[in-house]
Amino acid sequence: MAAQSASGGRAPRVDRSEALAGYALIAIPMLLFLVLNIGSIFYALFISAWDWNIRSGPEEFKGLDNFTALLVDPIFHRAISNSLYYAVVWVPLTMVIGLSLAVIVNQKIRGQTFFRAAFYFPAIASSAAITILWIFIVAPDGLFNAVRDAMGLNPIFEFFGFDPRHNWIGNQETALNSIIILNAWTTSGTFMLFYLASLQSIPGQVYEAAAIDGAGPWSTFRHITFPLLRPGHFFVATVAVIGALQLFDQAAIAGGISGDPNNSLMTMVLYLYNAAFLQFDFGYAAAVGIVLFVIIFGATLIQHRLFGQAPSW
Amino acid sequence: MRRLLVLATAAMLVAVACGGANTSPSPDTSAAPPASVDPGASIDPGASATASGFDPTAISGTAQLSGWRSSPEEGEALTQALLGFPTEYPNIAVDYKPIAGDYRAVMITKIASGEVPDLFYVNAEYAGDWIEEGFLAPLDDYIAASGFDTSQFFDGYASTFKGKDGKTYGFPKDGNTIGMAYNTALVSTPPTTMDELLAQATALKGTEGIDTPICLNPGLDRGLAFLYAQGGSIVSEDGATEQISTPESAAAVQFYMDLFKDGLGKTAGDMGSGWCGEALGKGQVAFAFEGGWLDPFMTSTFPDTKYAWAQIPTGSSGSPVTISYTVSYSIGADSVNKDQAFVLLTYLAGPTGMEKWTAGGVALPSRKDVPIPAGKDVLAASSEFARPGSGFMTGYVDVQKAFQDTFIAQIQAGTFDGAAVVAATKTAVDAALSQ
Repeated sequence: MAAQSASGGRAPRVDRSEALAGYALIAIPMLLFLVLNIGSIFYALFISAWDWNIRSGPEEFKGLDNFTALLVDPIFHRAISNSLYYAVVWVPLTMVIGLSLAVIVNQKIRGQTFFRAAFYFPAIASSAAITILWIFIVAPDGLFNAVRDAMGLNPIFEFFGFDPRHNWIGNQETALNSIIILNAWTTSGTFMLFYLASLQSIPGQVYEAAAIDGAGPWSTFRHITFPLLRPGHFFVATVAVIGALQLFDQAAIAGGISGDPNNSLMTMVLYLYNAAFLQFDFGYAAAVGIVLFVIIFGATLIQHRLFGQAPSW
Repeated sequence: MRRLLVLATAAMLVAVACGGANTSPSPDTSAAPPASVDPGASIDPGASATASGFDPTAISGTAQLSGWRSSPEEGEALTQALLGFPTEYPNIAVDYKPIAGDYRAVMITKIASGEVPDLFYVNAEYAGDWIEEGFLAPLDDYIAASGFDTSQFFDGYASTFKGKDGKTYGFPKDGNTIGMAYNTALVSTPPTTMDELLAQATALKGTEGIDTPICLNPGLDRGLAFLYAQGGSIVSEDGATEQISTPESAAAVQFYMDLFKDGLGKTAGDMGSGWCGEALGKGQVAFAFEGGWLDPFMTSTFPDTKYAWAQIPTGSSGSPVTISYTVSYSIGADSVNKDQAFVLLTYLAGPTGMEKWTAGGVALPSRKDVPIPAGKDVLAASSEFARPGSGFMTGYVDVQKAFQDTFIAQIQAGTFDGAAVVAATKTAVDAALSQ
């Protein structure tokens, strides 16, 4: 590379051929991205303007009718409120658990690698299998109710209005919260990995300086580790919100395609699936998809504005 | 040298990209017939049936059969039924590919991509919708050319698969009526009226480890039978007028709700079982309302629980009533091997194939000329007065959802108000009828 500045005439040619090499290499993936990702968004926009017969294509032009129908659909409102509630509760919860796990496994303890693998394992196990297992655990005669009965914790639960054989996933009040707890457990491993990467980029000298100044472990965490993790926080929060608003498989497996019981597990993506494959109304489903896109895009923009750019230390 | 490397890499990427970009977005039927189908072209199924007659033995090729498989016993029964086919029609190979998971969703994607199996199941629940949208091929030309005897089908089942244009779009492959299965260890004489059912359930409650004696579904998939038994209805006979808000219907809904309120009935989920059949097998309840599919399940999963069938108790309407479910074999509008599929259809929906299929004990025959399988007498006798449990009005899925959502809300909130359920269902019925 140093050679390029030596002879002035040769420098631009080397740069141009390098640039061309770069373009050539990304040309195909970029084309695929433009067609399949960006192009499909425009295609969905096109579909949402029609009454779309899934066999023969566009049938009747509806313009914005699908969107206006969506705006007054009470089940869609429920889907949005469920998704937003899920995002607001699940994201901070999982971030806290992920961060705690990352701090724990970042220490030099025996079995460090084992613990990292163990905490991350639920994230890579099949979500369908875990959800079905979870349904058994929180069933009326499942593990959770049996354990709290054996531990004598039932009076506490009775105080909050849960009888000893409460059906946690089948009850409309507690179904969504059960899924939140399930996903907080399974996804905390992934966030642990993200935070671990950020944690390990914090230079050791900072901790040494803090130790010299007499900071205890909690002070160190509060004043040094936590603020220096801003890149991690930003990244995890953005990814988490996008993922939370797209919750589908656990809701579909636990509550069925119609969001039972009583729409308590109906999320936006499940509603899209319902509209597309139960009602086979592709135009309506495409409208749901566009609204979902707008909501997620808006949420990411808001996060970007509020928390600024991810700082690079 | 570097330029060569760049060009070689680019060529490699193009090769990979082209190979990757050809995967179709829909779940691929790996054995899909190689002939390409243009979904836009209007397909006339009658064109391939010869005007002078339809000779099934002269047709050769493959027929791709698809459907769901609700249990291993069902798969076994269908395999047995298919064994007899090559003997009669050795020139047609059957490619049986059941669809796992959400059958309706997978079929929708297949229909959208134009690559549908040749012969497949269509549940009565959405048969009307699929016929109206043009997904299924009309069979009248084939019936006329082949002389297939359609007179033996029970009208209650067959009528579901006739379109509004009067054409036939499928034949019912079987039927199932809902009956009352009762644990013979707990119940010696089954109740014949709803009052007797209430009395027996009240007496059983709290004894022998029975918390709630009846397993019930909070939706119309079983509730409709109770509605009919008490003289109520969702819509009128011709399907034109809403009838859920009549005094009889409202009283019937409240009667069903009161079963939950008085602690006599509970949903399977609230008992920790997946469905009422499981609850019955586990001994959690004394009564469950299910269909013939219960038998192979109980034999294989809970062989020690002894049970028997009885008809649904008569309600205030005074006449015996139950609801029936059926599924058709249909040919897709875009199916490639329609001739071969029709031959397979005449076999499976004809007396020979249906007898083999129903011998597996999963469902009842939908034809009068097929003998009733062993142990199904009570359920088969109900076929006479059974009313369709689905497919009798368009948009029924939304009506069911409205009923079930409000019903669940009421029982979980502890208010048990039948009027709220009636109101929500009426809104859905009005919306469905106005379309």
